Parts: sequence; C-alpha cells; structure tokens
Amino acid sequence: MDQLYKNLADSIRKSSADSHAGDVMVVGGGVSGVQASLDLAASGFKVYLVDRAPAIGGKMAQLDKTFPTNDCSI
Amino acid sequence: MVRVMCTGRVDPAFILRAFSNGTDGVFIGGCWPGECHYPTEGNLYALSMVLLIRKLLEQIGVNPQRLRLEWVSAAEGIRFAEVMNNVVKKLQELGPIGEGEGIEQNALTFRLKAVENLLPYIKLVERERLIVRFETEEKVIEFFKSDEGDRLFRELIADPLAISQMMLLLREKPLSAGEISERLRLDASEIRRHLHRSVKQGFIKFDEGQKRFALA
Amino acid sequence: MEGEAGEFNVTLIKKPRYIEEEKCTGCGACVEYCPIKVEDEYNQNLSLNKAIHIYFSQAVPLVTYIDAKKCSFLKNEKCAICEGICKNNAIDLCQKPEKIEVEVGAIVLSPGYEIFDPKLQGNYGYGTMQNVVTSLDFERILCSTGPYEGEIRRPSDRKHPHKIAWIQCVGSRQVIPGGNSYCSAVCCAYTQKQVILTKDHDAQAECTIFHNDVRSFGKDFERFYQRAEKLPGIRFIRSYVSIGKEIPETKNVTIRYSTYEDGVKEEEFDLVVLSVGLNPPDDVKDLAKKFSIDLTPQGFCKTNPINPIETSRRGIFVSGAFQGPIDIPESIVTASGADALCSQLLAYRRGELSTEREYPQERNVSGEKPRVGVFVCHCGANIGRVVNVPSVAEYASGLKNVVYAEEALFACATDTAKKIAETIREKGLNRVVVAACTPRTHEPLFRDTLREGGINPYYFEMANIREHCSWVHAREKEMATRKAKDIVRMAVARATRLEPLKEFQLPVDKRALVVGGGVAGMTSALSLADQGFEVYLVERDSELGGVARKIHFTLEGLDVQEYLNDLVGKVYRHPLLHVITDVTITTVSGYVGNFATTLKAGWMAREIRHGIAIIATGAEEYKPAEYLYGKEDRVLTQVELGERIARGEEGLINSQCLVMIQCVGCRNEERNYCSRVCCGHSVKNALKLKEINPRMDIYILYRDMRTYGLAEDSYREAANRDVKFIRYEPENKPQVEAVEEGGHRILRVTVADPVLGQKLEIDADLLALAAAVVPLATNAEISRFFKVALNPDGFFQEAHVKLRPVDFAAEGVFLCGMAHYPKHLSETISQAYGAAGRAATILSKDSITASGAVCEVKESDCVSCGVCLSVCACGAIEFRDTPQGKKAWVNSVLCEGDGLCTAKCPTGAIQLKHFTDEELVAQIDAAVGET
Repeated sequence: MDQLYKNLADSIRKSSADSHAGDVMVVGGGVSGVQASLDLAASGFKVYLVDRAPAIGGKMAQLDKTFPTNDCSI
Repeated sequence: MVRVMCTGRVDPAFILRAFSNGTDGVFIGGCWPGECHYPTEGNLYALSMVLLIRKLLEQIGVNPQRLRLEWVSAAEGIRFAEVMNNVVKKLQELGPIGEGEGIEQNALTFRLKAVENLLPYIKLVERERLIVRFETEEKVIEFFKSDEGDRLFRELIADPLAISQMMLLLREKPLSAGEISERLRLDASEIRRHLHRSVKQGFIKFDEGQKRFALA
Repeated sequence: MEGEAGEFNVTLIKKPRYIEEEKCTGCGACVEYCPIKVEDEYNQNLSLNKAIHIYFSQAVPLVTYIDAKKCSFLKNEKCAICEGICKNNAIDLCQKPEKIEVEVGAIVLSPGYEIFDPKLQGNYGYGTMQNVVTSLDFERILCSTGPYEGEIRRPSDRKHPHKIAWIQCVGSRQVIPGGNSYCSAVCCAYTQKQVILTKDHDAQAECTIFHNDVRSFGKDFERFYQRAEKLPGIRFIRSYVSIGKEIPETKNVTIRYSTYEDGVKEEEFDLVVLSVGLNPPDDVKDLAKKFSIDLTPQGFCKTNPINPIETSRRGIFVSGAFQGPIDIPESIVTASGADALCSQLLAYRRGELSTEREYPQERNVSGEKPRVGVFVCHCGANIGRVVNVPSVAEYASGLKNVVYAEEALFACATDTAKKIAETIREKGLNRVVVAACTPRTHEPLFRDTLREGGINPYYFEMANIREHCSWVHAREKEMATRKAKDIVRMAVARATRLEPLKEFQLPVDKRALVVGGGVAGMTSALSLADQGFEVYLVERDSELGGVARKIHFTLEGLDVQEYLNDLVGKVYRHPLLHVITDVTITTVSGYVGNFATTLKAGWMAREIRHGIAIIATGAEEYKPAEYLYGKEDRVLTQVELGERIARGEEGLINSQCLVMIQCVGCRNEERNYCSRVCCGHSVKNALKLKEINPRMDIYILYRDMRTYGLAEDSYREAANRDVKFIRYEPENKPQVEAVEEGGHRILRVTVADPVLGQKLEIDADLLALAAAVVPLATNAEISRFFKVALNPDGFFQEAHVKLRPVDFAAEGVFLCGMAHYPKHLSETISQAYGAAGRAATILSKDSITASGAVCEVKESDCVSCGVCLSVCACGAIEFRDTPQGKKAWVNSVLCEGDGLCTAKCPTGAIQLKHFTDEELVAQIDAAVGET
C-alpha cells in the first residue's frame, strides 16, 4: 500500500488546488477509495478524495499484515 | 550500507573488493525466496553466488562466516535488527580479517587478488557448467552440499584458483615446487600436479638453469 | 449534494485540523511536548497518544492534527505549548470549519465498513473482561506500531498470552437480535493470518480456533488454511461456543464448547479474540439520504443486479465493502471498475482539467567536473537530537568534489526544497546529496527538486542518516555522528560517478485487444468501447457467451440468458468494437503501448496492433470421474442440473429424492483449491427445485458450506425449506452405487453422518455433483504469448493477490473473469469493469514514461557468451548482428532494472545504469575512508 500512498501524494501535489471544479468525487479514503482516485487520476480526470478521518487509509491502515502474502498493509 | 535493487545485482567482485579494503564482514540482505520483486528470482542466484564465494574464501583460509546472506523482507524490521546484531556479534568473535585467521596482511591481499583475478573465468565456467536454474532455496543449498557440487567445485574452481595463485607468485620471481608449496600452504603433491598441468598447457616453464619454475 | 450525473454540486464541511498543512513537516516535536494524553483511536484505544498527534506514523498527509475534544486550549484556552514548540509556525489554534463547494461529474462512494461491535450483544464479555479483544484490536496488538510495539501482550497485565482462542462468526451468520444474518466473508481468512503471525511471534503459543464452516473460498486461501492448520499447537474446533467466566485472580477467560467426540467442555484461555464481522458504515442512512441512493435491508448499498458498481442513482457509483462484505482484492477491483464507469460517463471531458507541471530546461553538465552539494537534514529532532548535524555538514564540505554543504531543519519542507533548487543554480551544482531519511519515501521529491534546479534528476543521491543511523543508535551519539559521516562520504563517492539518465516516452497505441468472448471479455470490451477506445474482441468459439451460455439463473434471481443476449447485442452493435470469432492467437510481440498480435482463422492470418490486452479466457466445469458420472445418466453436474431445471424436464421435476455432493474434483491433492461457486450453485438449484416441487427430498453432502457473504441467507432459507445438509470428512467420502430395487434403478448414496454418528443410506433418483471449476488447458499457451504467469493450479497469476488483482506483472496486460479464478457472475462483471478501468489508465495516455535505470551493453566488451540472455527472465536481452559479430542488445522497454545480468557478465560489458560497477565500487571503497 506504500506505493499507493506515494502515488497518491504525488498526484495530489501535481493537481492544482485553486478551483473547486472537478470530474469525480470519491467519498471515503480507504483502500478502495484510494485505488479509485488513483485510477481516475491516471485516466485523465480531476479527482476530489474526501474522508472524515485526519488521514487516508481506512481500516486497511490498521491491519498488521495482509493475507495471504503477509505483506505489510501500509 | 550499499543499496541495490535486487540481491541478484551483487557482484562477487564487490564482496572481494570489500574484504581487500579490510572490511571484516559482508552482509547481504534480500527478499525471501519466492518473493523476488522481479521475474528473475535474483535472490536464488545470490544465494548460489554466496555459497560459491564462501567455498572460495574457505579455500584461501578466510573464515567463510565473514560473508552472510539473510532473507529480510521490508516488513521485518525487528528481524533485521536481530540479524544485524547477530552479524556484529559474530564478527567481533572472529576478530579483524586476516588477524582472526592468522594470515599476514600481504598474504591475505595476495590471495584475495588471486580470487578476484579468477572471477571472469568463474563467471564463464558458471555459465557453461555450474548454472542451474534452481527452483527453490533448498535445491540450491542441496546442490552445494552434494558430492556432485563438491566435485565440480574442485575441478572447475579450486584447481584453477591454485594455478592462479601460483602464477601470481611466479610473476614476482621463479620458484621451486617446494617454495611454492610453502608459500601457498598447499600440499606438495597437489602443487606438483598443478605445475605439471600448467607446464603442459604452456603457462609455466621449468628453467633448467635456475632449477626453478617461471612464467612462460 | 444536488444535481445529476454530469453536474453534481457537493458541499463539504472541512473540519479544522488546527494545523496549517503546508507548513507542518510531521516532525512530531509538538506531540512530544503536548501534556494531554488521550486514548489512541488508531490503536483501538489500547494505548495512549497526545491531544495533538499524527494519526499514525505513515499517515498521508503526514501532518499532525488536534483532537478538539481533548485539547486543553480548545476546551478552556489553557496551554498552547505546541504553538511555542513548532519551529515552522504551523499551528493555528483559531482555525474554523471551512465550507467547500465542489462541482463534479460523477461520484464514487467508498465509505467502507464498520466492524461489528460485540459490546452491543453483551454476551461475549467484550468491554467487561479485559482479556477479550476483537480481531481488529488484535491486529493492533500484533503490529510493531501497535500498543505493545509488536509484542503480543494481553491488556490485563501486559503478559505474553500462551493460550489464545479465536471465536469465529461473532456478529455474523446470526439470526438473533443485534447479529447479522449474512457471512462477513473475510473473518476465516484473517483469523488464519493472525494465527500464523502469532506463531511467528511465539512458536510455543497454543492457538485454538472455534469455528463453524471454514470458508477459504478465495484464491490461494485453501493452501493458506492448510498452512495454518499444520502448525504445531493449533486446534481448529468446529463448535458453537459461549464465554464462560473470567477467573478473578488471573483474569483468564473460560470458553464452553462441545464436540461430537467429547461432549460439552469448559476450557481456560489467557486471551480470547473475537473474529468480528463487517457492518455497513455507521452513518449509512444519513449517507444514503444525502446522496439519494437506496440501501439493501442489511444497510449496504443497493446495486444494479447486472452491474454491482452502479447505485440506484445515475452517476453515483460504489466501490469496496459498502457493496456488501468483501475482501481487499474485490475492493480494489471495484475501485478500478468505478474508474471505468466514471470514464464511460465522462469520456467527453477526459484530460480537460488535469494539468502538466513545467520544468526549467535541463542543463548539460556532462563536460563539467563533479560539483557536489550536500544538504544535511535535522529532521526536526529526529536526526538532530542524536547526530551532530553541524559537524556532519562541516565534514561533508571538506570532502573531495564537494563545493557546498549546509544544514536544513527539514530538507523535505516545501520552502527548503525551493532553496535547494536555487542553490543548485547559484552554486552551479551538478550533483546533489541529501543526508536525511529514506529514498523509499523521499527520493521522488528530491529528484523533482533537481529538475526544478535545472539538472538531470538522476544526479541525486540520498544518504540515510535517520533510519540507518539516528533511529537505531539513539544512545550512542558520538558513534552515530561518526557513522553519519561515513554514510555521507559513501553517498558523495557514488554521487560523483552518477550519470544523467533519460526517462523515455513510448507512444501508446490506443486500441485494445480482449481475449475471450464470455461475460468477462464482453463486459470489459464494451466498457472500453464506451470510454471511446477501439476494441478487438477475439473468441476461439463461433459464438460469444462462454460458460454463461449454460447458466440460466443466479442465486439473486437474474435471468442469465436474457442478460446475455442483451449483452451480445450491445457488443455487436457498438461501432468501436470489432468482434472476431473462430480465431486463435499464433504470435504476440511488443510491449505495453505497442503490441502486435497475429490471429489465425482457418487459412487466414491477420495482425492486430494494440496498446493493451485483457485476458478473459474463462474456465470450464470439471468432468468428474467420481461417483458413477458418465456411467449412469442420472448422475449430473450442477451445471447440467441447472440446464435441466431451466428446460423444466419432467423426469427431474417429479423426482422424489435428489442428492448433491459438494467438492467433486477440488479441495483434493490434484486440485488443491476451492472452486468458490459450487456451494452457491447447489443451494441455488436446491431452492429452485423446492420452489417447483416442494415435496422433493434434497440432501446436500458437503465439507464446509461456503455460501459466503450475502449468499448465507439463501443457505439458511434452503435449510428452512427442509433441504438436508450433511457434512462429510474428506477421508470418509460418500459412496454411490447403482442398485435395482422394486423393478427400477436407483442410486444408493451412503454417507457417515457425524451428528448421528452412524452411516446413512439415501436412495436417490438423481445425483448432482458440484464439479470443480478447472482452468483451460490453453492457458499455458496464452501465458507464453503474453509473458504472464500461471499459478500452480493453472489459473492466471495476477501481479499481486491483494493489491493488484487485475494487473499482470507484465505491464499492459490485464486479467478478469474465471481465467483468474472461479467466481460468480456478479464478481466476474465487477472484475471485467476493473480490468477495463486499469486498461484505460494506459489507453488514456498519449505516451508512457519508462525508467532510465535499465541495462546497457558496451559492445566492444561483449564476448557473446550469452550468460545475460540466459538469466534475464524479462526477455529483454537478445543477440544482434554487428560488424564485430553477434553482440548482446537490451530492449530498454522490457528491462526491469534488477541487474542480475550485470552481476553475471564475465567482462562487465553489460551495466545496469544508475547501479553500475563503477558507482557501487566507489561507494564500497569509500566505506573504509576517503580515496
């Protein structure tokens, strides 16, 4: 998930923040929301990702490792 | 700490270079077998390279435990710390390279140089005779423990290493078989066998006047 | 939210964080000095944090926030210590909620799930007994960033628990008030993971899992289950349980359970983990109201039966566990699928709002002597507290080739990065070393800074003096400072040898090839065509439809043939979609963005060029060799049974007794996987038959009923309608014989009933076998053509089981449908959209960027031994004729940059750029002193 985060941080940095017109809003920044945002941004759309928590990641960020590969879930 | 993208990138020359520089130990940390991030499975190649270099180190009297390979994934911080502490402890027990083995600095440099010189040859031989695409870690280890592995190592690598060392010696000055055997700390009959072969192949000649062997 | 698809207006309230995000560097100094301790929500309240803190150590954004309910300044204007501590003036205690209005064309809802709260039922001791924890609590306990720093301890006395019990299905598969009737689908798997991790931590631990059916229905899950089961000291006990009591002295907890062998027992455990299920999000009703979407009775998102990613409202899509209880791979798949559906809706405006960064012209420095600049970071106190940063900077300035060195409080802060870029220009630096943290997180940022400074980004080297130094040597300050100097010296040595690399742009052919004309292939082809891409859909059969041609209805009641005909019609009608049937693939060449595939139909061959490929070749039903199949015509597979039901065959409908046997041809040695769909199929057929002929006796002989997720309700319904479920053990399979009795032939099925403890004989008119789903024999060929892998079972192997479920390791090739693994129709449709979404991320670009760190051959040194070719599994190296004979040549597009070939080359002719022998040897030499 590390990579997901980095990519996201990257695309957040690159997108312009002055206007509030976008293509898609993603509600919820768990693993699914993050992936949807990344794919949408990569497909040429401007995305707003909103989450009520102070950081994205959702439940998956709380998991120690994921199964069955036992990769670190962060 | 030197960063490479895959343990497969670690050239045996790097290891010898580090030892020649006076580094007391070399540690290689890689991804677990089956978890290589590349399709090459470089970690298994690294394992077989390390086992080979350890045999070579043993051959020249350097404690092979100075070279270590461990699998540590990016998620295993605690294991990494444990492994590193263990590596350091082991190296402290062994003492400085050369000194710990009772080899003089010059002799150590000389022998490491002989191995380094042999590397291109080893890589070629490996290509022709030794490289097997092992599927698992167990198979790599098994191969290096097997009689077949031993035999190939002796024939393909240990003998040329002795000859390489002999030739390095003879580059300084012509020597008798006895002197060579003493300097290399190798059995006299072994030395005679190598000399015989080298003379036949024309690398070395026997100088009748000096009663010494010299480079051809 | 107002408006409609294409033009939604959403109003957001941004909660104050009390931090200026742009200024906060995440150093954590404020956290250290904050006097207010609060329970750490991220650690499930098992440990304490401060009122101001970073949500968790790898959080994005990695900045602090203040818990307004706990902060003593925000409550009664006392304190404000943090304001004084922050050297970057990032703290703003006067921040107010901010209203933001956003216009968007589409919305994706991915609010996730909430875990089931066992306190509400009150019968598991959770909240009253300290050593009863939920599985999410236990995740935190296992984790190195968790409350006990990765040591497994129990809450009551922080001792290492020795005997640990897991209770499955807590809050799931329960038709009692407060419980959920459905199966949460993920708990069996995560429990097995927790057991394995527990044994990793403590090999002596005794783990007991009290379970109902073990539902290892996912890809690779069966093997994972076996791995957990085989560990020493592990017991899987099939039993309903109840919590007994807490022992006052030890705080141990007892569990009452019963087995067929031993009857009722009560056993004591040091720690009890409740494997809690998944609930819909807490505020789901509110969410549904705001977005005007419908919910299911369970509170999940109501979706379109033929498109699980569509909500009841056009333009609003759903991904992840809001669809119902699903695991991570499905959450990723539906996310990519939501991308595809948004793209279909908004294809006309693709790329209009996105912006490209502009960089200054890159200065050619190849003729210059190395001029290295070194920036040594304090990382707030992270490095500075241990390592003497000024002395490291001073040391660096004295190193050979270093023309400039300075300290930075935070090298990564936006203003510092700007300053570094300026310094590069002012001092004419042509190499930069930043001594700070890890390149894994910060290398991209600093490479960007180099581009801003007008030099090639590969002239950058990072010296990690935090993770490799200050963090691990916190108590040895002097030694740490010496080590930091060593690290910097090595980095400088390497930096001086660095070469500029060109990342190259490859044009993208915007056409797609979809292999396989079943539901998966058609759905993804249609989605791509709807997004505006030209698609070739190739099928070796003469007809589209695949396996779905034989399926007539689903558990949810969908008429599959009607759906299929409609889909086939759409596929044939779409102007951008070319259907080619009766065709086989003979060769594939090229790489992402530029593939060329040759197709053969009879004597005709044609070449198709395309930028991506989707593999959707499907799977087939196993032809059983067991249970008289093929010998007795009244022994059928479930698919055949489904067809006969659809035809309304009289002989079938008037049968008195039908027996179904599960797990035929899989979950065995030959096929060590679960076919996932069969339990659902059997229940579906049983229910349909009961509907037609309620008097029919139906027996289902099973090992574990794996009606995961919402299908659990159908399983219960079948049981309620008197379908009899009898469990058998794999070592004691049912026996089937054909016998004559009373003048007609019947099938006699004998099975050991574990409940009754005796053999049961059932005389059946019909026997339906839940035959395995098996991979196609042709997969091997396809896998060679596209250079993609197969798993040990013969299904295609995705790039990552969890995180890249529809990608292959080979770029530009994607996967969906049963070629990946058996799955239900709705799952296939989701995955097909997922593959289309991922494929569109490539097709929507005009070109793609490839890394410059690839291998290169110096032809004059190449002795044509071929070792590089033989070790390169990327297929990136080939021999090419040159005036000097055959020489190795690297196709940079295929090279993945691992560098195995470089280590194997006897002459050093092939070099991995950015990790050349020269660069690495310089670093090795510098380790022992300056050269």
